[in-house]
Amino acid sequence: MNRYVSALSAVGITHRLLVRQLLSKGRVAALLAVGVVISLVVALVSRTVGDDEPAEEALELGTALMANLGFTIAVPIVALVFAAAAFGDLKEDSTLVYLWLRPMDRWPMVVGAWLASVTVSLPLTLVPLTVAAVIADVGAELVWATIFACVVGNLAYSAVFMLLGLLLKNSVVWGIGYILIWEGFVAGISSVGERLAIRGYTRSVMAERTGIDLDLGNLTSTTAVVVLTVVVLVAFVLSSLRLRSMDIA
Amino acid sequence: MAAPESSLAPPPAPPPPPPVTARPIVEVENVTKAFGDVVAVSDVSFTVGPGVTALLGPNGAGKSTLFRILCGLTGPSRGTVRVLGENAREHRNVRGTIGLAPQQDSLWERFSALEFVELAGKTHGVADPAAQARRCLAHVDLDPDDPKRVGAYSKGMRQRVKLAAALVNDPTLLILDEPLTGLDPVQRNRMISLFHELGSSGKCLLVSSHVLDEVARLGSRVLVIAQGRLVASGDYRRLRELMDDRPHRIRVKSNDARRLASELIGRGLVDGASVRGGTVLVDTLNVDQFGRSIASLSAELRLRLLEIVPTDDDLESVFRYLVERR
Repeated sequence: MNRYVSALSAVGITHRLLVRQLLSKGRVAALLAVGVVISLVVALVSRTVGDDEPAEEALELGTALMANLGFTIAVPIVALVFAAAAFGDLKEDSTLVYLWLRPMDRWPMVVGAWLASVTVSLPLTLVPLTVAAVIADVGAELVWATIFACVVGNLAYSAVFMLLGLLLKNSVVWGIGYILIWEGFVAGISSVGERLAIRGYTRSVMAERTGIDLDLGNLTSTTAVVVLTVVVLVAFVLSSLRLRSMDIA
Repeated sequence: MAAPESSLAPPPAPPPPPPVTARPIVEVENVTKAFGDVVAVSDVSFTVGPGVTALLGPNGAGKSTLFRILCGLTGPSRGTVRVLGENAREHRNVRGTIGLAPQQDSLWERFSALEFVELAGKTHGVADPAAQARRCLAHVDLDPDDPKRVGAYSKGMRQRVKLAAALVNDPTLLILDEPLTGLDPVQRNRMISLFHELGSSGKCLLVSSHVLDEVARLGSRVLVIAQGRLVASGDYRRLRELMDDRPHRIRVKSNDARRLASELIGRGLVDGASVRGGTVLVDTLNVDQFGRSIASLSAELRLRLLEIVPTDDDLESVFRYLVERR
């Protein structure tokens, strides 16, 4: 009996399964709170700039706050929690076997898991950060820059952290280490570190779209999108290979 | 796959195995699996065709590792494994012919039984997964319309959910790792009947257990694994005879152990005896003869027997014996 599941079906099945698994009330509430708190800080601090100050200064403050809080903490952390859990949770509780021992190719499962992570994590950051950019009322540039950077950042972080969840135990701890140590410190002092930090690309998008100078934000949006697309594709390939070769409990 | 009419009736005697096909469904050749320095499976070879085959072994013997290798969930360190001529780790289509009920008690806790089994059907590309899931749940005596999450199910119900999920793709090879654990006696009978029914229909069932009595009812073909090695295989009755024929060790306490030991050896009633304090440790190949003669001998010698205890009647010692005799 030669029965197999088409790639499209495998993507859909994996996506639906993992969205349901990832959507635990506690996890969603906690991460929504992170997004909301950061958004409130960005919105309120941006509005403290007086009406007599130049608009450029308000936009600069809003952009810096969004880049430093929204794209340094909220976007990577929320993506980390869900993307690392996409396969990581199944691995930890030994239910990956119910997905693995099936007549399905590995790459559609990876794509489905990535889409599931994005489905859950993107609204949890995109909505509060966009609302914060609107409330900050420093110009439409910040709103569009926030939306653009949030989407590309979330897609890239989700792919990388999904791979991390397949590779390592305690992947959330390793992910936080990457966010805090690599992106927060190494990227600031080394040009190689800068190029290997997703944060540099989201900041580049913010900088170009708002016209505000940001540390690490010296690339064009096009370059950022191309590099992050490559990052996503490489993460897909590595995740598929890992899923194929790993031992399943 | 109809359920038997009376759940209280003992399961029928194992049916004769179906005729062996030209090519075995499972072929294992010189398979070894090591995790670092620990060898979980050592140089195991066997073939299995249609019907029920029991894999017997104590906990930690390597049964689950062997099953994982068969399913392709982990690769062997050495040797080859083929299911329907292919390696399940590499060939997608072979995975569609396997149904596995793993030993671990892990399910997607927020799913209902129907949702869980239906999803298993979808991931196998079953044409009508909902209808097939209902049929499979009914086979294992679970209500498909039960809205409860499997997280709220008892151990026995969860076992049956795993069984239903393993059946949903109508597999050629069904691998059931300790499937009777947690089931009550009635359910055990029902499941054993179901296994025989599936085996008679030409499917290959590999069912593991560490309980000898269960294996006796599972099927006539048995593979015995201990310490990672295949220590016996073949017909269950032959294995049973082998187990009964092995030397037994019995502890006998008496008010004059030394005299009792000397008489037992002198009359050829035992193969060996050693005395420790007031206790005689007796080795015998013929337990029945020893049992019949010990009481009359003690009466004749006017000795008091304080205790007679077999010291190696547990399954572990049976396995140990089988390992040692290889």
